[in-house]
Amino acid sequence: MALGPQILRALEDIVGPAGLVVSLEGRLTYECDMHTFYKGAPDAVTLPESAEQVAAIVRLCRRERVPIVPRGSGTGLIGGAMAPEGGVMVAMTRMTRILELDFPNRCATVQPGLINLWLSQATRDRGYFFAPDPSSQMVSSIGGNAATNAGGPHCLKYGITVNHILGLEVVTGAGELVRLGGKAHERPGYDLTGVMVGSEGTLGLVTGVIVRLTHLPEGVKTILASFPTIEDASETVSAIIRAGIVPAALEMLDEVVIRAIEEGIGAGYPKGAGAVLLIELDGPTAEIEAQSGPIEAICREHLALEIRVAQSEAERALLWKGRKEAAGVFGRLTPNWLLQDAVVPRSKLPQIMKEVAAIGARHRLVIANVFHAGDGNLHPLICYDDRVPGELERAKQANEELLGACLRLGGSVTGEHGVGLDKRASLPMQFADADLGFMARLRRVFDPDSIMNPGKLLPSHPACGEGFRPAARPLPAGTWI
Amino acid sequence: MAVSALAIHEALADVVGHEQCLVAAPDLAAHAVDGMVPAAVVRPGSIEEVSRVVARCAAERLAVGPRGAGTSLALGNPPRRLDVVRELSRLGAVREYVPEDMVATVEAGATLAALAAHFGPHRQMLTLDPPGGGARSVGGVLATHASGPLRFRYGTGRDLLLGARFVQADGTLTWGGAKVVKSVTGYDVPKLLVGSLGTLGVLVEATLRLQPIPPASRSWRLGFPSREAAAAFLAALLDSPLQPDRAALLDAAALRRTGLTVDPIALLLSIGSAADAVEHQGQALGRLAGEHGGRSEPLADTAWAGLGEALDGPIVLRAAGEPRRLLDWVGEAQAAATRAGAEAAVVAQPGHGVLQVAVREGPDAGRLARDLVRPLRQALEAEGGSLVVERAPVELKRECDVWGYIELETLAIMKRLKSEFDPDGLLNPGRFVGGL
Repeated sequence: MALGPQILRALEDIVGPAGLVVSLEGRLTYECDMHTFYKGAPDAVTLPESAEQVAAIVRLCRRERVPIVPRGSGTGLIGGAMAPEGGVMVAMTRMTRILELDFPNRCATVQPGLINLWLSQATRDRGYFFAPDPSSQMVSSIGGNAATNAGGPHCLKYGITVNHILGLEVVTGAGELVRLGGKAHERPGYDLTGVMVGSEGTLGLVTGVIVRLTHLPEGVKTILASFPTIEDASETVSAIIRAGIVPAALEMLDEVVIRAIEEGIGAGYPKGAGAVLLIELDGPTAEIEAQSGPIEAICREHLALEIRVAQSEAERALLWKGRKEAAGVFGRLTPNWLLQDAVVPRSKLPQIMKEVAAIGARHRLVIANVFHAGDGNLHPLICYDDRVPGELERAKQANEELLGACLRLGGSVTGEHGVGLDKRASLPMQFADADLGFMARLRRVFDPDSIMNPGKLLPSHPACGEGFRPAARPLPAGTWI
Repeated sequence: MAVSALAIHEALADVVGHEQCLVAAPDLAAHAVDGMVPAAVVRPGSIEEVSRVVARCAAERLAVGPRGAGTSLALGNPPRRLDVVRELSRLGAVREYVPEDMVATVEAGATLAALAAHFGPHRQMLTLDPPGGGARSVGGVLATHASGPLRFRYGTGRDLLLGARFVQADGTLTWGGAKVVKSVTGYDVPKLLVGSLGTLGVLVEATLRLQPIPPASRSWRLGFPSREAAAAFLAALLDSPLQPDRAALLDAAALRRTGLTVDPIALLLSIGSAADAVEHQGQALGRLAGEHGGRSEPLADTAWAGLGEALDGPIVLRAAGEPRRLLDWVGEAQAAATRAGAEAAVVAQPGHGVLQVAVREGPDAGRLARDLVRPLRQALEAEGGSLVVERAPVELKRECDVWGYIELETLAIMKRLKSEFDPDGLLNPGRFVGGL
């Protein structure tokens, strides 16, 4: 839909000429998130500078029945921050300030466009950090993290984004500007903050966030263990959890990924191993020491080829660099891929990894694995070449089978990326009609006119699927998973 | 009421059997809520029966009050209507538990003590420990958002509830969330149920994250000569990398009630970790306390279970403010209680800014409302905090709303939620915020 001149003028009145993008080349910058498969440019992009401006935009769009698409840094992986039906995009890139660091209350008040890592950098000298650490944290925004309820390697110990949000300032789809939660940890009434987090901009727009700050641990120990096969590594993960140890992070990389990383950025991972586990312990030094012995023993029992402990902060950073930038080096391996984010109960890890291998073999596709093993959150990358006739179809088929296998084991469709456009058709695999109906009604409570990020998160919206052409490269280099 | 007591009984007995549908006057009186006596008490024996009971009540337009173990029914404004009390004590099964997953799916009526006994042999625990809470049902603890000393490390039900099966107002059995530790598929519906007092749906089954029981654990009682000293110590503790797992703060009256050594203020702390780490951190705690004029002594692990004693009594207020102001609020609460002529004890959650004030001996409801509840609430609300009357005789509830002020636009959203999911107002009507 095109926006009439009155609406454009009204938008400009709200955000000023510098806050409004209407040119075609300007709008095309916003046509997709990191899942470039899904494209749809908004009719206008607004760059508000205050909650009041956001509220004015929502009220205008509600009156005119124009769709609104919120956007943070655009680093999502689900086709969330793009505009399948056009409309007005509200990008938070001019609301990036830290408003308050309140160490006695162990919290910070920030604007939604603030980059995740900036907050940890701003608080590190005082001994604090912001715990949610999606691999995109150097570029993704805290508002976007809240919208997708982002995870990350360290959420194994520290919990996901919702566990770190104390309060939100929100403009609902109904145009209300409300403050939910706050510095006090309890408040009577329904937990609207909890419902808003992870709602992917379908209930409202986050214009301010009060986040928990976490004290830096006394010590950190990063262990890299390599194994002959991915089954050995999977059994190791289950054994560590069974031993009652919850590391800060417990990440797995398979042979394909190790090779790509070493050829790409050279993180010092052992080439030729079937799988690598990156295990990080943090906390009181004595606790780390007490836990690392048993972990190393468990690794050896499961035929570890090598166990290496990072001896310096530089070495530790390098080990993590390999993991965090893993997806960015996939271009070396395959022209195209599909990415999964399904979760299985962690005891089922050995079983699902066998299935992944079998599905790959059956469809004659390479499936690369780099994922959050400690909480069973898989990220299989199904590699294909869209120049080879039939490969995309085989990849899609493998994708479906994999998701089905995860759900049969009691899992979930998405562990941290979210639903967006990409996964909404899969929700009926996990939820019955009554469950989805409840969610649709919940949405209406906040967004009575269905203007907030339409077509996302829930299945069977009229805008389903049509009109999206696969891009040449579904995930660009520099993607974070 | 739309139908006669006899008709209610027949309709419900049809679902659960006559013996599980109580209508004798003494039974009904025992299940009264804030003095309101129901026409029937129904005790479904399965999730499917709960669904059918709720559907039947919806069809007959009967207002249904929830009941788990029956320990926290005091929370809430007096009911607007109460036709049927639906008790879930027969739903106590652990439905799924794979220790390697550290996740369990349990029925809402299971008590915390029963669950502890179930998970303990696997060296795992559900980290919900509201004071005196062993007999409480997990559904009730979630619905009231109750918490205890373990919150310090593990959070509340909000952080632990991964998935929820619940019955909507029309009886539809519904599922939200997931059975794995990490999921963002769809809206986080379980969050909506935590603390909602059963007003949006009836929680019948909860999938919860468990934690390993640490290999070693020790507890200490750190006594302080003044609130100021305790506040300085607490600030230093929170600003350190020390990692206690349980924490509670007690004033002199609370210490006396629990039979512990009495100081003006004391913190109870425990550290659970590897044995060496427990020793190291314990020493560091002792040193830190010493630097702030406190003294540390070992505390028996059983002392934690005794916290309920301190909060025993007819009136409990629950206040929440900024965490850094906790000790100030303890002082304000003590002063207000003294002005009201009430004998009160304070138990607080360090790091979270939450305190419970238990009033035992006191004046009439009018004076309590005037000199204690209203001024304390006003002061807290002025700083973004709140005061909830967690337990009180109905006379006091009539003097002051149980929940306090909620911003009107926020309350409007809550009202829309209620009217969407319970349009006829049959789920625990009148008891929640804004009369929902």
